[in-house]
Amino acid sequence: MPWKLLWRNVLRHPIRAILTVGSVATAVFLLCILDASYRGLDAAVADASKTRLWVQSAVSLFVDLPEGYQPKIEAVPGVKDVVRFQWFGGIYQDPSNFFAQFGVDAAKWSANYPEIELVEGKLADWEAARTNCIIGRDLADRFGWRVGDHVPLIGAIFPRTDGGVWDFTIAGIYESRSVNIDQGTLYFHYEYLREGLEQGAVQGPRGVGVFLTCLHPGADASAAIAAIEQTYENGPQRVRATTEAEFQRQFITMLGSVPTLLAGIGSGVLFAIFFAVLNTVLMAARERTRDVGILKALGFTDGSIAGLLLSEAMLLCTAGGAVGAALALLSNRALWSFMSAFIPGFSIHTNVAMSGLALSVVIGALAGALPALRMRRLAPVTALRSEA
Amino acid sequence: MVTAIEIRSVTKTYQRGGESLRVLDELELTMDASTFYALMGPSGSGKTTLLNLVGGLDHADSGRVVVGGTDLGSLSGGELAQWRAENVGFVFQGFNLLPVLTARENVELPLLLAPLSKSQRRAQAERALELVGLKDRMGHKPRELSGGQEQRVAIARAIATDPKVILADEPTGDLDRTTADSVLDLLQRLNRELKKTILMVTHDPQAAGFADKVVHLDKGRLGRIDDNRAAAGRA
Ligand SMILES: Nc1ncnc2c1ncn2[C@@H]1O[C@H](COP(=O)(O)OP(=O)(O)OP(=O)(O)O)[C@@H](O)[C@H]1O
Ligand SMILES: [Mg+2]
Repeated sequence: MPWKLLWRNVLRHPIRAILTVGSVATAVFLLCILDASYRGLDAAVADASKTRLWVQSAVSLFVDLPEGYQPKIEAVPGVKDVVRFQWFGGIYQDPSNFFAQFGVDAAKWSANYPEIELVEGKLADWEAARTNCIIGRDLADRFGWRVGDHVPLIGAIFPRTDGGVWDFTIAGIYESRSVNIDQGTLYFHYEYLREGLEQGAVQGPRGVGVFLTCLHPGADASAAIAAIEQTYENGPQRVRATTEAEFQRQFITMLGSVPTLLAGIGSGVLFAIFFAVLNTVLMAARERTRDVGILKALGFTDGSIAGLLLSEAMLLCTAGGAVGAALALLSNRALWSFMSAFIPGFSIHTNVAMSGLALSVVIGALAGALPALRMRRLAPVTALRSEA
Repeated sequence: MVTAIEIRSVTKTYQRGGESLRVLDELELTMDASTFYALMGPSGSGKTTLLNLVGGLDHADSGRVVVGGTDLGSLSGGELAQWRAENVGFVFQGFNLLPVLTARENVELPLLLAPLSKSQRRAQAERALELVGLKDRMGHKPRELSGGQEQRVAIARAIATDPKVILADEPTGDLDRTTADSVLDLLQRLNRELKKTILMVTHDPQAAGFADKVVHLDKGRLGRIDDNRAAAGRA
């Protein structure tokens, strides 16, 4: 029956119990997400290619480079291919439907991205018409698009002069074999955009956002970077070259020192929860001082009474930890499809969820220890003198 | 007559704000077994302190407290807890019961410390509740009971383990006259029929009238001892 007593004490204040369990569950759940984000970002950096260089304007990512830069970049030793890469920024029906679109040189781009696999349609299908495009698996799932469907896009950066919409036809669907590359993007022919601009059917800036410069295997990336940057050192526009890995890293550090931030948030959450639980248990112990006096008078040992309080704290925290861990694992799939657009490697690990659970048991033990020790030391006479 | 409780030159002092307060001062007292004692005295005279010493809830500073042949001063904290579980039953003034447990579960509590099976515990608790006339209320929580019923459940708990000594600190302090009388009647019956030694602290002369002997305490020292039976015999 001490267990019955334990259980009844917990249920005596159901709201308080639920809040405690809920806060621990939330903490464990958040920790799992933080860890998954952290790992995802880390994996993205570790996995990123070091043989693909991103050559862009030294001013900003949003300033284009003249098309004429291409031959000189191609002439740099070690360079295998240069792929033109342009951000399109079109709107599908409503801005809230945002997804990325890029104009690329289809064949060269495909050849240099072995991580991307066309699971429906072939490169030849894509190349069959200028208006063809390919889309990622997640994007297809999101809008229920299939090969052959038309995707009308409003040109925000590149409006059509006739006021109409851009009309792309889906010729293929790709899947990504790398945590770095998302499955939510539309790729179309850069040439189609360029022609439009040239013929006056389209308005907008002329140029190339990024020259994706692909090196021969084993080529010296830093030498190539230095050579490319040197070529345009004195203008007309200076360029900046970075490996795709470095680009990913910079993008991540641009968000602030994310890993440190995540670790900080994680420990902050734990700290806050620890005090919340401690406070609850202290409150519970205080209002039970009289009960403790009675139990001691009846002959229950100091140890068993302390154990009762300790178990109560551990029970609440363990329940919370279990709920949080279960929730995290069960929602992994749903979270992934949402988070992978920002953090491609996002995935909640089972052993992290289990560590979260273990951590909540430890928090329960630590938070329960203080009131338990207090009640253990409390003289029965003193406990009995306290008013209930 | 067998001696149940011996108080030998017991002194107890409390420290309060750097000042030491001598609550019991070389107290000498012998109590017979199977006798119902009332302990009276002004507030602060050390009644509760004495009861706690006899019940092994506290240690004397000096002197000896011997209950049922056991010198309580020789027992360690853990041994004392076990001794309490086996040898004494307590009834306090108000808030005797654990609020989250039913009447039967409250009575079963001390039985958890005895080597009994679940069904034995249950049966024994029900027997004790029957004795105090509350078997039909055994599923009730304390807040669903009246003050008098609560005290009777507390008495049932005190006798559940069948201890020789029952210690009651103002058990009727919160009760009205009629309810108090029924509780006192119950204690008297336990003494007469089950031969329990009872030590009951009270401020109420009428309550003291239910006892065999009335011990008066004054400023930590023994005053006179009235023998109600002798008085009744003379009358
Ligand atoms: N833990 C303690 N610390 C300090 N002083 C205490 C402590 N316990 C009791 N006292 C003091 O010892 C004295 C005797 O207390 P005790 O409770 O034994 O008196 P009492 O006769 O039961 O009084 P009452 O009739 O009011 O219950 C009181 O003055 C009380 O304030
Ligand atoms: Mg008192």
